[in-house]
Amino acid sequence: MRNRFTAALVGLVAALVFSLAVAPLAHAQSSQEDPSARWRFNPKDFPEGGGGPAPKHDLTGTWAGPGSSPLVPRGGGRGADKPELTPYGEKLMSQAKPIGKYSPAGTNDPHARYCDPVGFPQNAYTEARGLTIATMPDRIIILLQYMNVWREVWTDGRPLPTTVGGTGPDALDPTYNGYSVGHWEDDNTFVVDTTGMDDRTWVTGAGYPHTVNAHVQERYTRVDKNDLRLSLTIDDPKVYTKPWSLGTYNYRWIPNQKFDDFACIPSEVIKYLSDLGDPAGSDPSAEGQRIGGR
Amino acid sequence: MRKILTFVVALAGVLAIGVPAFAHHGDAAYDESKPVVLKDCQVTEYDWMNPHSLIKCDFKDESGKVQHWVTEIGSTPSMTLLGWSRNTMHQGDLITLYVWQSKTGLTVGRLNKLVLADGKELTDRDNKSPSRYGAPEK
Repeated sequence: MRNRFTAALVGLVAALVFSLAVAPLAHAQSSQEDPSARWRFNPKDFPEGGGGPAPKHDLTGTWAGPGSSPLVPRGGGRGADKPELTPYGEKLMSQAKPIGKYSPAGTNDPHARYCDPVGFPQNAYTEARGLTIATMPDRIIILLQYMNVWREVWTDGRPLPTTVGGTGPDALDPTYNGYSVGHWEDDNTFVVDTTGMDDRTWVTGAGYPHTVNAHVQERYTRVDKNDLRLSLTIDDPKVYTKPWSLGTYNYRWIPNQKFDDFACIPSEVIKYLSDLGDPAGSDPSAEGQRIGGR
Repeated sequence: MRKILTFVVALAGVLAIGVPAFAHHGDAAYDESKPVVLKDCQVTEYDWMNPHSLIKCDFKDESGKVQHWVTEIGSTPSMTLLGWSRNTMHQGDLITLYVWQSKTGLTVGRLNKLVLADGKELTDRDNKSPSRYGAPEK
């Protein structure tokens, strides 16, 4: 009797010790303990609800944009308007052969053919699945997932430059991201003004043009702790009869603050065009193609 | 022949209007009236890359002649949401592809659906794919 009881007790203790030893291992294999999980974007892992009120004057962090996950809210989001062009604007636009109509084989979109940067403002909403905002004392740095682009927004009170693309000795060079200044309009709305963008870039994938003197305004609104909303407008009187909206886009806080690499590698684009894009050909007469980027 | 071609183009156009998000990268070149089915196509190359990943495979037609096919799928973040990865297939695998072939008649096209040797299905798009503006409000 005693032997059986002792044996049972020993067995029970052994089982308990064994299960305690194994439990951490078993737990380690679950996705929560997966060491790779902190290094990659998980489209299923998003906060429930808004998380409470937005902290004042703070956009810092990494945000998931439209198309990155079904869990990024869509309400209120929309794409760019269809603008009215001036005669000069029409002339510029007629030179563009967008990929939506002409396919990779027939397009002259420099981004589609060479991985040239799409530039600002298009990089704010084309393939805009990931956005990080980093705050420095005199600047806010915007880091865009697609093509690893960073933009600098000066918050030291300086005005926008007026000499970009000019012919005088102090003229500044146009750049692909332009020159940006920003200020807080209220507790949760950060307004960015940009000008001086290189006019080789397209405003959208449809081939809308812009001049170096175009003025783009972004409004970043931290709606609540977990939600950020971005709206943009462009004013470029030489090519558009009035300012027009470039859309409104919702971003959601990423719990592990990580988005995956998403690059455009020139040698890969060359391979893509050579192996598939160019052989596939082009049919500009096909109707109903939704032009990329609106 | 021209009449048929015009019809195919027009049909592709009508179908393209009804297919959300399909055409954004410029699928004007593909005949979307009916997919070509390539059963037991042997993978020769799989490039997980942007702008679009490429699947290259050798397909034996009824006469035993080998056709070299190149098909594309979407961008890596889009495909990851649909269950694709760098490791979805390897050289030598036998796969079945449903392909929207190029109107040029060359053996290139856009993938509609993939069936792996173990029966697992992966698509290029589905109705639940998030649009560029995110998910609908619940």
